[in-house]
Amino acid sequence: MKKPAFLPAVLLLWFVSLANAWAEPVKCFESRKGASEVTQRMIGEDLPNVKCSPKTGAVLWWGNPFDGTVPMGDMPIQDADYTRGKAVVKPRSDKLGLLPLCGNSCHTGSLPKGFPTSKDARELVMMHQAIVLDSTKLPHGRGNIWCLDCHHSTQRNKLVDHRDKPISFDQPQQLCGKCHGEVYRDWREGIHGKRIGEWASTGTKRWFVCTECHNPHNVQHGDRNRGFAQHQPEKAPTLPKGMKTADHERQKH
Amino acid sequence: MEAPVEKPNSRRSFLKSAGSLSISSLLGTAALMTMSDDARANMEWAEWFQGNYRLMSEEEKALARARLERRYSREYGKKVVVDGTPAQEGVLMGYALNIKKCIGCRRCAKACVEENNQSRGKDQEIEWIRVLKMEKGEFSQEKMNQGYPEGLGIQVGGNAYTPVGDVLEGEHYYQPDAVPEKDAAYMPIACMQCEKPPCVKVCPVRTTYREADGPVVIDYNWCIGCRMCMSACPYWARRFNWSDPNLPKEAMNPVTHYLGNRPRMKGVVEKCTFCIQRSRQGRYPACVEVCPTGARKFGNLLDPNSEVSRIIARKNVFRLKAELNTFPKFFYFMD
Ligand code: HEC
Ligand code: HEC
Ligand code: HEC
Repeated sequence: MKKPAFLPAVLLLWFVSLANAWAEPVKCFESRKGASEVTQRMIGEDLPNVKCSPKTGAVLWWGNPFDGTVPMGDMPIQDADYTRGKAVVKPRSDKLGLLPLCGNSCHTGSLPKGFPTSKDARELVMMHQAIVLDSTKLPHGRGNIWCLDCHHSTQRNKLVDHRDKPISFDQPQQLCGKCHGEVYRDWREGIHGKRIGEWASTGTKRWFVCTECHNPHNVQHGDRNRGFAQHQPEKAPTLPKGMKTADHERQKH
Repeated sequence: MEAPVEKPNSRRSFLKSAGSLSISSLLGTAALMTMSDDARANMEWAEWFQGNYRLMSEEEKALARARLERRYSREYGKKVVVDGTPAQEGVLMGYALNIKKCIGCRRCAKACVEENNQSRGKDQEIEWIRVLKMEKGEFSQEKMNQGYPEGLGIQVGGNAYTPVGDVLEGEHYYQPDAVPEKDAAYMPIACMQCEKPPCVKVCPVRTTYREADGPVVIDYNWCIGCRMCMSACPYWARRFNWSDPNLPKEAMNPVTHYLGNRPRMKGVVEKCTFCIQRSRQGRYPACVEVCPTGARKFGNLLDPNSEVSRIIARKNVFRLKAELNTFPKFFYFMD
């Protein structure tokens, strides 16, 4: 009786292992889905770079918190009171597909003809709709800001500060900080945003930059409408033995 | 002293002499006679007889850890480290959680399980962090006439009417497609690492105690499973292994600390230790690192430049059930 059941089981196992070998490498996201993806790999014996949630695809655990990071560089606010330590960040440029092109192919500073540098909102006909569906209703700033408040008017591969000086895409905090000063201050002190690595105030920390958590082109999304996109939650805890539903805690009075 | 009996070839002489000893040694001998990867079977007899970790000499501690390393490495089929790094001078570990930022995604609870080798699966799932979903308010125009006596009830008035036995205290088992939900707030709770921990006061065998750098820890080997600490804890922070923990080999985290995430056994209590195996090595606890909103902060309360100290200095903080005089080192704050 045992043999016939055995063979299919072996075949099945074989197929499963094959499928596994062919399967795409596991990709999961660190903070903002679609903008902070990492690929799982081994960085030591029994040590993956990240462990991912099978349910949501979110990174749950870092084997090496400094994997893929570069020094953050000094903060432009020299005498500001912030936790210095050794700060590293993950460069954003790697995640931006258009970045290598935009400065020389489309927006060279003189092209396209009549290169617009006005900060008045206008319709972007057939352009960048993946980023902002309706550019006249940019969901950031409630009608008070426009692309060129953030993007440099003549160097499109740069962001821009208050004095029209270019800012690297890897330093979005300098851009956001020009309008969100109070949050910027909290971020410098490690209160807003997050850091991973060593907890000592003198330790090495990976700082998450603003755009790793916020989509600059949409901070008004979601039911709560408060700047941080909604996430799929992880699995609820298992109900205590013998309990069929959690209705008891949902009762409305 | 113990070296000779640990050699496998002296097992027989050990059996002879142990035959007339107590119950626990009988368990030990039974264990020695079977060869499986069951935890009890792999325990060396010395583990059954070891003292309270806090009272051991440095050599005894090292031997105890080496014993565990051997057992765990065998059980989980990989090189397991059981660290014993002691508290560092000048450090008092503290925690702060931005309750306004929490979105209820539960990643902290899951990351904690990945890190701390809890039991998982249907039969016995243990999570040290629980996240409560709270309604933001229960008041509405429609309820203005509730709360007046129905039958023999007692008038409680207006919107406040709630039948006896119903609680408003929040949900553990919420499962929407996306969080945060509209009109919901979330409240994660785990061990508060009290400076005056009620659990420590009640432990009859003194196996749970406050370490010099702050966290309250448990020597699992000395725990008798009486669960007094669980009933003494006002925060429901402690969990009990009712049955043998289910920890899959491949998921087991081999970097452990004696007082932290080393695998536990049936019949012992466990809880959050601020990831002592990480924090004693300078690394943030796993829940701090995983929180996607950056709501969780950790650091040295004695260092004015640490993130927690800055939060306590600048933000509005509160501690849960502060009126119980437990003096938690876990602060809630908002900005
Ligand atoms: C609040 C500031 C801000 C505004 C306003 C803004 N952007 Fe951006 N934009 C950014 C930042 C920051 C990035 C880099 C995002 C990242 O690091 O993920 C970016 C990235 C981009 C990219 C590159 C995306 C890629 O994947 O390569 C394009 C294209 C772009 N923005 C177009 C626009 C257009 C068009 C508008 C106006 C409708 C606009 N942006 C408005 C801040 C802004
Ligand atoms: C040119 C100024 C400007 C810049 C640069 C800017 N913002 Fe904003 N931002 C605003 C304004 C204005 C609002 C709208 C505030 C309101 O709702 O009244 C806003 C709103 C927000 C909100 C939502 C706040 C809330 O409570 O709803 C977030 C989050 C945010 N910005 C993040 C960013 C990030 C991240 C960056 C950098 C990529 C950035 N901003 C750059 C002007 C700016
Ligand atoms: C680790 C993720 C993370 C990082 C990094 C981060 N933020 Fe936020 N931010 C949040 C969350 C979460 C909220 C709260 C959203 C809510 O209340 O629903 C928030 C809220 C905000 C708001 C809304 C107003 C407020 O006071 O809360 C602004 C503005 C903002 N962030 C700007 C920034 C800027 C500027 C940076 C970079 C200097 C930054 N954020 C970095 C996660 C992050």
